[in-house]
Amino acid sequence: MRDKRVIFLADCQSFYASVEKASHPEFQHQPVVVAGDPARRSGVILAACPLAKQQGVKTAERLGEALAKCPGLVVIKPRMQRYIEISQMITEIFQCYTDMVEPYSIDEQFMDVTGSLHLYGSPQELASQIQQRLLMETGIYTRFGISETKVLAKMACDNYAKKNDSGIYSLPVANLPETLWKLPIHQLFMAGSRMTAHFHAMGLPTIGDLARTPLPRLKEMMRRRFGKNSDINAELYWRIANGVDNSPVTPGTHEVAPKSVGHMMTLPRDYALLEEIKVIVLELTELVCQRCRGMGYMGQTVSVSCLGADYENMSGFSRQAKLMDPTNVTNQIYHAAVQLLERHWDGRPVRRVGVSLSGLTDDSEYQISLFEDPSRERSRALERTTDRLKARFGDSVILRAVSLAGNGQAVDRAAKIGGHYK
Amino acid sequence: MRKKLEGNGLWESSRMMLPEHKESNLRKRQELKRRERRQLDEQELEEAERLLSSSLEARRVVRIAMFHPYEQTEVIGIVERIDTLQQRFMVDGEWFALRDVQGVAAESLDA
Repeated sequence: MRDKRVIFLADCQSFYASVEKASHPEFQHQPVVVAGDPARRSGVILAACPLAKQQGVKTAERLGEALAKCPGLVVIKPRMQRYIEISQMITEIFQCYTDMVEPYSIDEQFMDVTGSLHLYGSPQELASQIQQRLLMETGIYTRFGISETKVLAKMACDNYAKKNDSGIYSLPVANLPETLWKLPIHQLFMAGSRMTAHFHAMGLPTIGDLARTPLPRLKEMMRRRFGKNSDINAELYWRIANGVDNSPVTPGTHEVAPKSVGHMMTLPRDYALLEEIKVIVLELTELVCQRCRGMGYMGQTVSVSCLGADYENMSGFSRQAKLMDPTNVTNQIYHAAVQLLERHWDGRPVRRVGVSLSGLTDDSEYQISLFEDPSRERSRALERTTDRLKARFGDSVILRAVSLAGNGQAVDRAAKIGGHYK
Repeated sequence: MRKKLEGNGLWESSRMMLPEHKESNLRKRQELKRRERRQLDEQELEEAERLLSSSLEARRVVRIAMFHPYEQTEVIGIVERIDTLQQRFMVDGEWFALRDVQGVAAESLDA
């Protein structure tokens, strides 16, 4: 065994747009973007191919602005289910080289190739081999960051592999002083715009400045700005800057039981009436309970959150309540959620609503209380049936009547994954 | 907060994955663990038969490897009944299908 690990972070270039270009060869030489539905508020660019980016199109800008810059732009509606399938396919290709593959997002995955590298040659050779295979089998160009830790592999990819010609960059710890440490602090992983401003104010304009600050000194500096509880963040950033990260590539990371199950929705317009918001709460509750039942959980703590429509003048709340007994029956959870809504909503228009259930326990056995609501068993039987119908024919096959009354979003939501079309 | 510095915490707390993607990932991983039912050859069948009936007759403890699509399972005990008509056997009051038998070994008593 080598004493140092060899870790890859593979990042797919303009993932959604690349998938679409691969399945539409006629657009190969045209600028392509994947964009949400312009009629609803989700009309933003989700992904732009390199040709579109050359013309100044940026991810997350409005479709209208992109079309103004690039009139010949090909706009494609997202197909989320397909992107998930392709991502899964890529995971399986990676698994041909090592069983240690951990998806980090839909287009980024970690691989630990320490144990199988001797079969393929140098890390660069292996990365290049996988890169060519992916291009041939999926039509997607992938960039590889290579290092001894996950955090360095990630920064090798973001700061170097994405910008060089081969799309492969190896960043050993020994080279940090001449490479990563020379970069400005905003290129540090996890450093957002606010944190960057703070680092500048602390006199740490480069990653190296942060890395070379002794940890106790950094903790002191951060305590002065953020208060007593900033020690962990100080250590986190200090470790990232020094490339210290012993976290293992963890393939089975999703096999652990979730701590909570929640759903959140951004509404197509502002909802200002209690009755309207209640419909959304019911639909979200139904989804949450459906997922809990599917996984075999009941929950005891219900949380409801609402975010106000006015982003300048933030309003809204996020509150939770504990039930007498854990449950996954929609009506019971809904009842508690509506109580929270009625108590805490200030009456101002709402843009985003979320419902979640935590305090999860196994639902294969539950305590029957002495004064049990006799309808509970019937509700469970009914929901088992509707869940099976939905699993087989799609979420919109059977709906509550209120969902059809105009304010409901269930039909629309059933056609989407992560807020974008399936 | 401390969790970010331990185990895989940094990546768990910053991961961006759709629930649908996680579920598909889980399903695939489960499928990877799927086992095939092994066909026993003639000699193995004969040996299994001999050990099962000797357990029944002499009340000897045996260790029976059983098929399960995702798990490694074993039945350890004394065979109490064998029902050739329904192709099943009983250990400790519970029926098991004979076609799930993947191997039988005599259990040494001094273990």
